[in-house]
Amino acid sequence: MAAPVNVDQEDEIVRLSGIVKRFGGAQALSGASLAVKRGTVHGLVGQNGAGKSTLIKLLAGLHQADEGQIEIDGIAYGALTPPQVEHLGIHFIHQDRLLVPTFTVGEALFLGREPRIAGTPFLDRKLMRQKSAEILDRYFGLRLPNSALIGDLTAAEKQIVQITRALLDGPKVLVFDEPTAALVRREAELLFGLIRRLRDEGITIHYISHYLSEIVDLCDTVTVLRNGRDVATLPVVGTSAKDIGTLMVNRDIAELYPKPQVSLGEPLLQLDRLALADRYADVSLTLHKGEVLGLTGLLGSGAKELVRTLFGLESPTAGTVTIHGETVLCPNPAAATAKRLALVPEDRRRDGVALDLSVTENITLASLDRFSRAGLLDRAVEKRQASALIERLQIKTDSADALVRTLSGGNQQKVAIAKWLSRQSEIYLLDEPSVGVDIAAKVEIYTLIGELAERGAGVIVLSSDIEELLGITDRVLVFFRGKISRDFISAETRPEQILAEVTGANETLRHAG
Amino acid sequence: MPAQSSHPVAAVLRGFARYALVAAFAGVFAIFAAIAPSFLSGANLLSVLVNNFTLLAIVAIAMTFAVSAGGIDLSVGTAIDFSSFAFVSLVLAGQPVPLAILGGLAGGILVGLFNALLISGIGISPFLATLGTLFVGRSAQQLLTNGGNPVYLPPSGIPEAFRLLGHGTIAGVPAPLVIAFGIIVVAWLILARTRFGRVNLATGIQASVVRYSGLALPRYTAATYVLVSLIAAVAGLIVTSTVTVYIPSSGNAFLLNAIGATFIGTTLDPNGRPNIPGTVLGVLLLSIVANGLLLSGLNFYWQQVATGLLIFTVLAIGFANRKAGARA
Repeated sequence: MAAPVNVDQEDEIVRLSGIVKRFGGAQALSGASLAVKRGTVHGLVGQNGAGKSTLIKLLAGLHQADEGQIEIDGIAYGALTPPQVEHLGIHFIHQDRLLVPTFTVGEALFLGREPRIAGTPFLDRKLMRQKSAEILDRYFGLRLPNSALIGDLTAAEKQIVQITRALLDGPKVLVFDEPTAALVRREAELLFGLIRRLRDEGITIHYISHYLSEIVDLCDTVTVLRNGRDVATLPVVGTSAKDIGTLMVNRDIAELYPKPQVSLGEPLLQLDRLALADRYADVSLTLHKGEVLGLTGLLGSGAKELVRTLFGLESPTAGTVTIHGETVLCPNPAAATAKRLALVPEDRRRDGVALDLSVTENITLASLDRFSRAGLLDRAVEKRQASALIERLQIKTDSADALVRTLSGGNQQKVAIAKWLSRQSEIYLLDEPSVGVDIAAKVEIYTLIGELAERGAGVIVLSSDIEELLGITDRVLVFFRGKISRDFISAETRPEQILAEVTGANETLRHAG
Repeated sequence: MPAQSSHPVAAVLRGFARYALVAAFAGVFAIFAAIAPSFLSGANLLSVLVNNFTLLAIVAIAMTFAVSAGGIDLSVGTAIDFSSFAFVSLVLAGQPVPLAILGGLAGGILVGLFNALLISGIGISPFLATLGTLFVGRSAQQLLTNGGNPVYLPPSGIPEAFRLLGHGTIAGVPAPLVIAFGIIVVAWLILARTRFGRVNLATGIQASVVRYSGLALPRYTAATYVLVSLIAAVAGLIVTSTVTVYIPSSGNAFLLNAIGATFIGTTLDPNGRPNIPGTVLGVLLLSIVANGLLLSGLNFYWQQVATGLLIFTVLAIGFANRKAGARA
């Protein structure tokens, strides 16, 4: 089922061309184009930060482009608004676009366009029930009472409600943004079946996914985004997941990653068949002194949950954690920090630093007992320690007493790390340590990670930036659907190998082979 | 942050705003000194300190710990009442005064433990939890006192020691004033100079970071509300010793002024944080306003209006100041 070779303009239902979009100083899109042909399933792939979500938000009318134009059904639009987009027959199925949990199915389906009993202000509940039951039964073979609460539905059922809501409007284009992220395998298969059927009924499908295997299975055509522009649009027939992965990866920034050679010491942290309910299972690994270990995986793959478990934010349901040869239990962060574990969380401005505390107060917050004498804080010693760390990490701040709010993202991140240096932590868990940080500060943070390893600490870096991971770690473990699917020696691995593993492309190959 | 502005006038204005509270205090003081001749007399000023200042200062300091932790305690009055009730009841039952004092403190702490259970244990917001405690406490007192009847100590049977807290002197200074001063110093040390105080402050600013820093957040929060009730209980002991009677639900009289003084006090800090010196100055300000209006012969009912206006003014200037600071 090759895509129609006809590239006639008329046949394109959605066409974005030369789109440029800046957010402040950051260029999210720099001349991206996308043309979706009527009646096809068109995939869109790209690494984190490639510009996928920005492009989709532009199409949805949530952002306005700085340059470029959007054509829908051959008509050019300068600026779109979300109601206008819906009116044009383009609907979005998004994991994050949450339905209000306290609404009933009926209320959610007809929100904002409730049918009335002719000539009265009263809702036509009977018509609502009929229409929704018809679609639910026809496409999903599902009986979902209109009175059921959204909050009681499974992730798959919620998605069905979203799709049904769109279908009630007789859509021309359905855009699926990472639709399988919260679905189990069987549910995903059902979704793919539905998508094919909708395509056969003439609805155009635009499908955004991290999972290359899904793209290869499902799509007719795929567009690859890299660094804010489209690098290729290809028919999927005759293209492998590996080819697509290679196109996604950027190769020209290898000098970014200073990585000192550190010989590994004794085992510091050992996990034996650790499991957390339905998030991950059977995770065994060893972290040595002086080692930087990378973890990666898609949202929901279990990698993030593993890091949270180690820091006592989740309680494992099976398996053991051993630190320095001693089995430990960390039911809360206080217990974890007592074992000299440190977490630099992803949501820096919420969990990592207190914006309205000073640099000094943030740095010493996790180690206040070091500065207490006879029950009172010795503020001179506290300040000396903070100043020493400000110096060592080259934190750019007006003074040690400035509020952390006034610092740049990169310097805030250094404060979040300094907090644990002050506590003399030994095992560092860094969750997306370079997100929202400019390039110069990124390199400084990478250097710091190297120094931690040189001083004999063990570092676990969780990141979705694969090049970064390969650049700064000794090994990378890939999580896929709750398991460590493979480990790689960083120095001997190319990004596309990891990408294939992360996105499940290898799974497809193994099935095929 | 005086060095931040390039414009000298702006710097002076900011400096003024920073000390709006001090300026307001001096201004109000000068006005009353001018219009009410007896205001400046030593006897009057001492009476301001003893009658207006001490009890409110103690309750406001208790409140400051709750506000600093990002919460509030609407049940400080309940802690005062429970302390008072336990104190009077134990003395009436013939127990020695020192034991009755401990009993009173325990009565107050009971309220704090209940709050700690609701806030730290169950996770109810401090506002709603302590509001609930306020209601429950009022009903409990009505049940205990047969519908809200005061419990008097018979004039003949009052042990001398009982009156010491309210009427005694220490080195010539009235005992309530000495106690209040002691609480001010200790509270200031705790809030500004201890690990507990720092964590308390950080909790109020960004609780999630406290948790992610490996600090046992629920324990700190629980300790805060117990401390609040303990300090309020001391106020309960002093007021009971002064008037030799327990009046059900009378402690709530301090609630609004204590909240007001705490928030007025935040303007003294460049970052708008609750702080003990600010709270004390806020209480002093409210105290001289109450006393000065009385001496000026102004209708009693205007007193609340004046207090309200004062709170608006000081907070508005303090807020504008911080906004300007954030922009600079």
